[in-house]
Amino acid sequence: MKHGLIVAVAVLGVLWAAVPAFSHHAVQAQFDFNKPLTLTGVLTRVEWVNPHSYMFLDVKDAAGKVKKWALELVGPGGLRKAGLSRIDRGGFKIGDTITVKGFASKDGSDSGFVKELKLSDGRLVTIWFGDPNAR
Amino acid sequence: MIRRFPGGRAIGAAMAAASCLLVLRLAAGRAPAAVKSAAVETPRTTEGHPVLSGVWIGVTGGAVLTAEDAGESIKVTLNARDGTPINFERDNTLLRRRDPNRPLYKPQFWEKVQQLDQNGNTEDPGYSCMPLGVPRMGPPNKIVQTPTEMIFLYQVRNTFRVIPTDGRAHTPDKDLEGTWMGESLGHWEGDTFVIDSVGFSDASWLDIAGYFHSEKMHVIERLRRQGNTLTWDVTVEDPDVLLKPWVMNPRTVRLNPDPKAVLAEDLPCQERDLAHLVTKEHH
Repeated sequence: MKHGLIVAVAVLGVLWAAVPAFSHHAVQAQFDFNKPLTLTGVLTRVEWVNPHSYMFLDVKDAAGKVKKWALELVGPGGLRKAGLSRIDRGGFKIGDTITVKGFASKDGSDSGFVKELKLSDGRLVTIWFGDPNAR
Repeated sequence: MIRRFPGGRAIGAAMAAASCLLVLRLAAGRAPAAVKSAAVETPRTTEGHPVLSGVWIGVTGGAVLTAEDAGESIKVTLNARDGTPINFERDNTLLRRRDPNRPLYKPQFWEKVQQLDQNGNTEDPGYSCMPLGVPRMGPPNKIVQTPTEMIFLYQVRNTFRVIPTDGRAHTPDKDLEGTWMGESLGHWEGDTFVIDSVGFSDASWLDIAGYFHSEKMHVIERLRRQGNTLTWDVTVEDPDVLLKPWVMNPRTVRLNPDPKAVLAEDLPCQERDLAHLVTKEHH
């Protein structure tokens, strides 16, 4: 397990702009960044696909009923580089309890956009936007 | 999604919007002249042609991975003005759309282009993980040059093109079935490698914004190596739908100095958000 290491992956947002060719739907067509949400659940599946990868959590609602939530991850390349795709590198492990902080879907479905997740060993994974010009 | 893309394009001074400046600064907006490779001599084959083999990477751009020995967190940061996802997407959209160089369609197609553009989320074949095709797939990430063919390898979608250079003629038009990448043949004009492609289906787009084309499209690509940089120039001819041939902005890539460089495997493309999209916004 790769503890004791902060791995920061800064991705130039202009990668999209640098390639006039590739494009895709906007995350804000799907998620509401004014509606934060927090969930804790058991990881049942991770799908590393483009353009957005997904993790699935079994989350117990207030009544104790289990609902399957789909959480979208941007920056899968960076997450994989940081070891999340390999259990022996401290990556995602099916069956672990994970807490997700993110944003709710616009259509009310059981899905969300991940901003931060807390792994079962307490490590934080943050996927967010930063202004390189911020002072 | 993190991608490494080769090349970039010069953004004109006309792009005054402050919102673009941040992204511009980081964008592949530097002209090829800024890349110092004049001192390096272009290697040549025994026949005297420039050697184009190698792994070719963007002049600017690419993921920056930093590892610090402290703490236990993982942080992925996507650069955006004010650090918001909304600016991330909209600034990039502005950048794309403000390039004055665009294909000029015949007036009877303007409505169609607009419709396709506005409904890009459902209409753009790239969004639904269909091939980008030629020329949208851009210059190759790796070239393998043999005496009889050029093999182009692309990291995005793990794809390839094989371009014969044995002097054969194109298959007669009536026998071409119409494909995403067309039938490409290559030859040398001096030190420039010229690729001539015909036999396309009409399924691909030239670029975002609804830029469709017909089956009669004819694409001419020119690759020229100078030192350790490679410039990719493209002209798209499609007299059925365009007022004149579209000369695309040249893209420049540079040779990866690491002789052991390999292409990364791209994650499989799978569209699974379409049913949940509430607006038509895309970038």
